This record gives sequence, C-alpha cells and structure tokens, in this order.
Amino acid sequence: MLMFSYLMATGITTGAFYGLVALGIVIVYKATEVVNLAHGELFMVGGMLAYTCYVIEGLPYVPSLLLAVAGAFVVGIITERVAYRSVLKHGLASVLVATIGVSFILKGIARYVWGGKGDYLSFPPLVSPEPLQFGNIMIMAQQLVVLVAALVVMAGLALFFKRTRAGKWMQATASNPKAALLCGLRIDRIYMYTFAVGAAVAGAAGVLMAPLTLLYPDVGFVLFIKGLAAAVLGGITSVPGAVVGGLLLGVIEQLAAGYVHSSVQDVVPFLVIMFALTFLPTGLFGVRGLRKI
Amino acid sequence: MPVQALVGHRSFLTLLFGTLLVLPAVANQYTLFVGNLMLLYIILALGLNILVGFSGQLAFANAAIYGIGAYGTALLQVHLGWSFWAAAPVGAVLAMVIGTLLAIPALRLSGIFLALATLAFAQATQWVLWHWQSVTFGAGGFRTPSPSFSWFAIKQDYGIYFVSWVTTVTLFLFTWRIMRSRIGRAFVAMRDGEIAAQSLGIDLLAYKAMAFALSSFYAGVAGALYSGLLGYMSPEGFDLFQMIIQKAMIVVGGLGSVVGSVLGAALLVYIMEFLREFKSTQEIVFGVLLVGFMVFQPNGLVVFMKRWLPGWEEPMHLPERPQAISKPDVVEGTTSGDHPVVERT
Amino acid sequence: MKQLASTMGVALAFACMATAGAQAADVPGVTDTEIKVGTFGPLTGPVYIYGKLTMNGVEVYFNKLNEKGGIHGRKLVLVREDDLCKPEGAIAAVKKLIYEDKVFAIIGGGCSNSTLAARPEIEKAGVPFHVFAAVADGIVDPPAANIYTTQLTATIESHAQIQWALDRGAKKLAIVSQHDAWGRSRYEPMLQDLKRRGLQVVADEEVTVDQNDGTAQALRLKSSGADAVMLLGYPKAAAVLIRDSIKIGYKPIWIGQTAIQDLPALQGLIGIDGSLANFVSITTIPGHPDNPQYAEWRKLLKNTFPNDELSVFNLMGIAAAEVFGKVVDAAGKELTREKFLAAYNTIDNFKSSIYPGPITCKGQHKCNQSPAFVKLDNNNVVFAGTVVLK
Repeated sequence: MLMFSYLMATGITTGAFYGLVALGIVIVYKATEVVNLAHGELFMVGGMLAYTCYVIEGLPYVPSLLLAVAGAFVVGIITERVAYRSVLKHGLASVLVATIGVSFILKGIARYVWGGKGDYLSFPPLVSPEPLQFGNIMIMAQQLVVLVAALVVMAGLALFFKRTRAGKWMQATASNPKAALLCGLRIDRIYMYTFAVGAAVAGAAGVLMAPLTLLYPDVGFVLFIKGLAAAVLGGITSVPGAVVGGLLLGVIEQLAAGYVHSSVQDVVPFLVIMFALTFLPTGLFGVRGLRKI
Repeated sequence: MPVQALVGHRSFLTLLFGTLLVLPAVANQYTLFVGNLMLLYIILALGLNILVGFSGQLAFANAAIYGIGAYGTALLQVHLGWSFWAAAPVGAVLAMVIGTLLAIPALRLSGIFLALATLAFAQATQWVLWHWQSVTFGAGGFRTPSPSFSWFAIKQDYGIYFVSWVTTVTLFLFTWRIMRSRIGRAFVAMRDGEIAAQSLGIDLLAYKAMAFALSSFYAGVAGALYSGLLGYMSPEGFDLFQMIIQKAMIVVGGLGSVVGSVLGAALLVYIMEFLREFKSTQEIVFGVLLVGFMVFQPNGLVVFMKRWLPGWEEPMHLPERPQAISKPDVVEGTTSGDHPVVERT
Repeated sequence: MKQLASTMGVALAFACMATAGAQAADVPGVTDTEIKVGTFGPLTGPVYIYGKLTMNGVEVYFNKLNEKGGIHGRKLVLVREDDLCKPEGAIAAVKKLIYEDKVFAIIGGGCSNSTLAARPEIEKAGVPFHVFAAVADGIVDPPAANIYTTQLTATIESHAQIQWALDRGAKKLAIVSQHDAWGRSRYEPMLQDLKRRGLQVVADEEVTVDQNDGTAQALRLKSSGADAVMLLGYPKAAAVLIRDSIKIGYKPIWIGQTAIQDLPALQGLIGIDGSLANFVSITTIPGHPDNPQYAEWRKLLKNTFPNDELSVFNLMGIAAAEVFGKVVDAAGKELTREKFLAAYNTIDNFKSSIYPGPITCKGQHKCNQSPAFVKLDNNNVVFAGTVVLK
C-alpha cells in the first residue's frame, strides 16, 4: 500500500511536468494548428536564462524568473517573425521543418554559450530541498511547486480562452483564418503573440522545473516528447485535457515501473498512446464527430 | 530547345546519377562512403515522399522501418548464417510487412494524431531494439559480416556501392512510372480529400495500405543496404534524429515530387558533410539553413527549379490547399465547451 | 677515378637525401614543422561532453607543448571531426580523417558504439589510434596492433565495483543501469563477473539518461533489501535515484563509476547536503577539478576557452594527450607510424600528472588498469581506497 501511494504521488508530480509542457504546446496548437517542435528548446532557454541571472549573476529569484520568462517571450516573438511567419501560409510539413530548424539553432547556441561549464548544471530549488511528509509518504517540495504551477497556468489559460477577447481571437484564427481575417482580426499579430505566449509558458516551466530536471542543452527533448504525448492524449486543443493527459501519463509510467519493471517505464506511455489513438482518435477531451472534406 | 534540354530535370538526374556512377574511379574512400550514404538517403526520401508527399500521410515511423530492414538483414546473417544476398530481400520484405500494418491506425487518424501514433510506434521499436537482448544484442550493437562479392570479382567497398547505385536508379525509375500511373493519381486524390477520393471509387484501405507498403519497402531496402555498408548495427542510427533528417530531405526537395526527393536527399547529405567544417557550430548553421529553405522555398526546391529552369517539366503534385490559410470546413458534428464563439467587433 | 669517386659520393649523398626526403613525405600528416593529429567524437548532440570537452582538453595540452616549441621541433595540430555519437557518423569521420585530412594519428573516440563501429576502418588503414574517452572493451579487446587506450575500460571498472562491495561485507548486491550502449558495455561484464563468483543480484533495475524521477526504482531497491547498489548511470540518472532514495529513507552503499566521479557536482545535482555520505566512485582523476593541483590547467583552459569551466572531461583529454605526447617524443625525430606504435612499449609505469595510477602500455593495449575510489568528506573529494581484483 505504501508502494502504491508513493507511485501515485510520484506519478502525479512527474505528470505535472508533462502537463505543464503540454500546456504550452496546446496554446500554440489552438491558435495555429501547428505543433512547435522547438518547444522543448524554449523550455531549455528559459531555464538557462534563469541560471545565468540567478546562479552566475547572483540576481534574486523573482527578477531572475521574470527575466527568464521575458527572455523566452522575446525568443518566441523573434522565431515567429523570422522563421515561421511566412512558412505558416504553407503546409504543416514545411512548418514542422522550420520549427526543427529553430530547435537546432537554439540547442546549438546553448551548447556554445553554456555547454562548457560541465555536463549538467544544477539549479538551486525555490524551496527547501528537504522532502516534506504527507501522511506516511514524503514528497519533494519543489515537485509541489511544479504541480501547483501547472494547475495555476491551466486555470489561467482556461479563463483566458473562455473569458478574454484575445483568447477568443486566437481560437477564431485557428478555426478559420480567412473568416477571422474578414472579421478584422490581425491574424499575423495573433500568431506572433501566440508563439510568444507559448514560449513564455515553456520558459516559466523551464525555470520552475530546473532544480528537478537539471539543465543541459538537450533537456527539452524528452520532456517535449512526453508533453506532446500528454497534449495529444488530452485532445490537443483542450487546456484541462493537457494537464489530465500529463497526469495520466505520469501515473501510468510510475505504476508500470513499480509493478512490472523499471525497464518498461519508458515504453509503456508510448504503447498506451498507440492504442489510445487507434481506438480513441481524438483524445480524451478532443472535439468529436468532425469529418473534414 | 537545346537550352531547355541542358538545364531540365533530365540533365540534372543524368548528371547526378552519372557522377555517382563514376565516383568510385576518382574518389577516395571517404567520398565514396558519403556517395553511398547519398544513394541510400535517395531511396529513403523517394519512399517517404510517396507516403507523406503524394499520399498525405504524416507518418513518423520511417526511421524505425529503416531500422527493421537493417536489423532484419543483419540478424538473419548473424543468427541463421544466411548470406547477405538471401537475407537482404527478406529483411526488406519484413520491413514492408510491419510498415503496412501502420496503415491500420492511419485509417482513423490524420495529421498530428497520425504523426504521434507513428512516433509512438517508432519509440517502441527503439525500445525493442534496446531490450530484446537475446535477439538484437541490445543497445551495445553487434558487428555484421560483410557481403561477399566473390562471384563478381570486385572489392567489397565498391561492390556494395554499385549494388546501391543500381538499386537506387531502379527504384527511382519505378517511382517515376508509378507516380504517373493510376496508383499515383489515386494517392494524390486521397491526400487532397478522402471523401472525394472515395466517391471516385478509390478504396481508401487498399490505397493507404499500398502507400505504407511501398514506402516501408523502400525503407527496408535502404536498411538492408545500410547493414551491408556499415558492418555494424546499433539502435542509435534509427532514432528520431534520423527521422527528422529524412523528413527535412523531402520537404526541402519538394513534397509530392519524385525529382524533389532525389534533390533534397542529395543536397542534405552534401550539406551535412560540408558542415563538418563548422565543427562545434554546425548545429546552428544546419538549423539556419533549414529555416532559410522553408522561408524562401517553403514548397521545396523543385518549385524554384520549375519556375526558373525552362526544361524542368515534372508534373507536380503539390498540395493545393495550404493548410493554415484555408482550413477545410466542418460539415457535421458538435464542438466541445471551450471551442470558439467568435465575437464580432 | 678520383673524379668518378667524388661524383659517386655526391650522387650517393643526393640519393640519401632524396630517400630521407621521400621518407618524410611518405608519412601522412607529418612535416618538418607540424604533426596533424585527428580526433573524432560527438561535438554536437546530447553527449557532446564526451567529445567536445575532452577534445578541448587535448587541445589545451597540445597548446602547452606547442608553446614550448612542440616535439622535436614539430607542432601538434588537432583536426576535429564530429561523429554525432552514431556508427554512421564515426565511420564517415574516421574515413575523412584518414583519406581526406590525412592525419598522422588519431586521439579520440567519445562514444562506445561509434568507436566500435569505426574500429575495422582504423585497423584496415593502420593509423595509430589512442582512445581518450570511450570505455567499451571491444575497442581494444582483442587487441589491434595500432589501437591503445588510456581510459579505464568498462570491464575493469565493473569488476572493481563488485570487489568494493564485497570488501565492505555487502551481502545483497543490486545493479541499477542505463541500458544504452555505454551502460551495456559495463552491465554485461558485471553480470559475467557475478556469475563467475557465483553471486546473484537481488535487484536489477534500469534508469534512463533523461529520467526525472527515480522513486519507482528506489522503492524496488528498498523492497529487495539490497545493501550495496552498483550504479551504472550518468550524473542525472544517478542524482534523481539517490535523491528519491533519500526521500523514501533508503540508504545503501552506493558504488559509482567514472561517469559520476565529480562528487561535488553530483551533490549539487541532488541538491541535498550530506546526500553522498554512503557514496564512493571510481575515478580517473584523483581530485576535483577545482582543487589547487589543477590550477595550471584551469588557467590554460580559460586562455583558450574563456566560457568554459575545467571539468573532468577536459582533464580526461589532458591526461590522454600527455601520454600521447610522451609517445610522440619517444618515437624520435624521424617520426613514422611504425616507430610511433613501437614507442608505446616505452610507456612503462609512467607516472601521469593526472591519472591516479601508473600507465603501462608495454605489452598491453589497455594502458590504464588502476581503479581508484574517491568519496566526499566535508565537501572535499578524498581518496577512499583501492581494490585488488580477485
């Protein structure tokens, strides 16, 4: 029983990682119908910028966090304007290749700037590193921070898409760019801010998770793959779906690792996705019954 | 007319394949190896373009299928003592059979969902290569015997090169024919609208299966040759990076273009070797080039060629409705709670 | 007659000079003023640390030699090629070094699989190859006449880890390993050695390089009751596993290997003070890179790579380059590949300024056979002991 509660708790805390990454993917997808394959690298850039401010330059935590998020936001704007804007008018495959190009560039720059400082960079946690006790199990405080952050970002985004005009503009642009344009929406600008907000969410996730994931130029890759899996599992356009998908993925992974063997930890989520998608083609929270001609 | 004949796609292909044919006579072993890789990537790109460019199936499993072909060929030699010549066709067919099964999820999935389902398949394949220790020798890899060319009195390096050359040219000509046939047109119809295609009497199951079968057969053939070329098998050659490179090749060359596949593959292999000069910054330069290609030639280099070179006359099958601008209309169904309600301002 | 003799003499002298000149020209990559040395390993991609950073170390050492005028008047020039840590990349890189760059010798090899894949090519070409980071035994075992390594090989380390556990009276052994190529090259010999000793492990768990949580593994280890855990993982995998073991209150003897020898860094990754109380690791570098004994290297590294901090990977490169330089020196003024390879026999009980134990290439191709253990004491890396392999 103790093992089960530990595995569940760990599943939820690691699932929150995937959920937080998935949220950024969902924002971009909702407005542009594109998956940004450089999302993991934006996560890494956020973490690295915070590392530079906080560890190397010795700034306090909150300004470092804000600077890192702002930095990621700016990177999001630059990449959209330079690399994606003209490509977005063309097919999905071309956009994917452009985002791959951006991911190579960001990784390369990170390796160039921060890559010589050792293999993994450690980032001090926001809260005490000692584990906290909940009933009979212990949880790392920083993991709770990530979980809370995932829920806060989720709630914020859900409200944003439901209640604010900007949120509705974004969705309108995604569902029919031509009609949105006719309604007077400046879709170029909407795309730009979408990528920027997606990048900022990735950057914030990067800073919050850095104490647990550690920092290195390739940190984003696996998290991105798992985050994408979580997003798709949740229906890719659903904000709560992203977080639920992430938590589900985390829990499945941990239960498989704990009760079957640790060697299956990495493959079980993919098996689940393969079968889930084959039999549930629009994900858990996806829009059903659409058929395109 | 002479000018057109000089700069057309025929001259380009003759020049490329001709150069590759005489390469062994003039090149050192490094250049020969790169030339051989180029031939294999041309096969891979031709196959992937059939699936992604012509048939519109955004699958991410080609690298894994390539690996299955390579491992199949190598393991039949190592475990059962087969010769390369017996193992290679079986390896390629094995890859084709497994690849064809991917048409099952593709019947219900499209776009990003299909991409993720096939990506999951690819990751699972990697896992099997790592963990099915008794058969695949795990992540540590294993040495494979070199194909014997005793029947042909030619050195092994050159032997595998010429076999690759002949295979590549054959598959190219085959692709060229088949994409201009009824089958190729059916693929394109399926890509441009599944319901419309069905109403024309195109059997979606049969044609999707055929697209997956063709592309995985190509990947399997390339894999078989790769195992003969490399002499060493390990899983890291068939990972997501490999997939990304293949995808970049067909997009840079031109989706839905046979010549584009050749152009993209040859160009990217050349670029990746050329970028060695940049040492530690080659990632950055490679990324900038990819972005540059997409910004300036988003529909591929063949579009540029067709526009500026008078003799370039390949019938093109570009997707006609770029996705982000005019999304297909929703004809039926409900939307969930958080779906848009556009406020008019 | 006299004239004839003098003509003959002059002709002979010319002939000698011509042969001498021809001989020098025959040796690839060697001129009167420089020796071209190739290196390959990952410069980009996730494991670039084993290539790029180690190469940086080699370059720092070469720079130091060159500033003193080189070896026998020849400067050492390093030519880098990226192998992307992939077999295909390594074969292309090695072919480029041999047939295009025409290097005299190669010092390199960052990844086990790619180096294994490149071995037949290197053997065929006969170019001398000095391994600086890759650990798989298959690279030098069975030995190839032109390949030497000064890296501890995987088998030696794995045996030493078991021996350390047994010497400390451990009864229940467990393995946690990465099942990638690097991990496999250690895991297989470890299982063989356990079998030879008639031992069984109580738990055999797996971690991945990018693992963000180790609770499941820690729980399984704890429930197996293992009292010593041999840890075959990179720093991140090791850090999350130890962190989560502490979280669930599980404290075995942890036995690491050279990938996690930078103990203060590992403690930083774990983020909990005192977390390495029961931890020892095999080392190729007997002290921490920040220790005063490496001040000179730190300074030289900063001169060439101002953004970098001295790391164990740099030191691995420096250590390998030191032996390499020694061999070039011993090969003499008339440098050929044959003389160079023969000169490895002069490396007998060589006291390296970095490797903890003596280096002996005489009669063997695995020149480094001394696994030393280190532990963390008051945040200082100290020598913990050594083992006698049985």
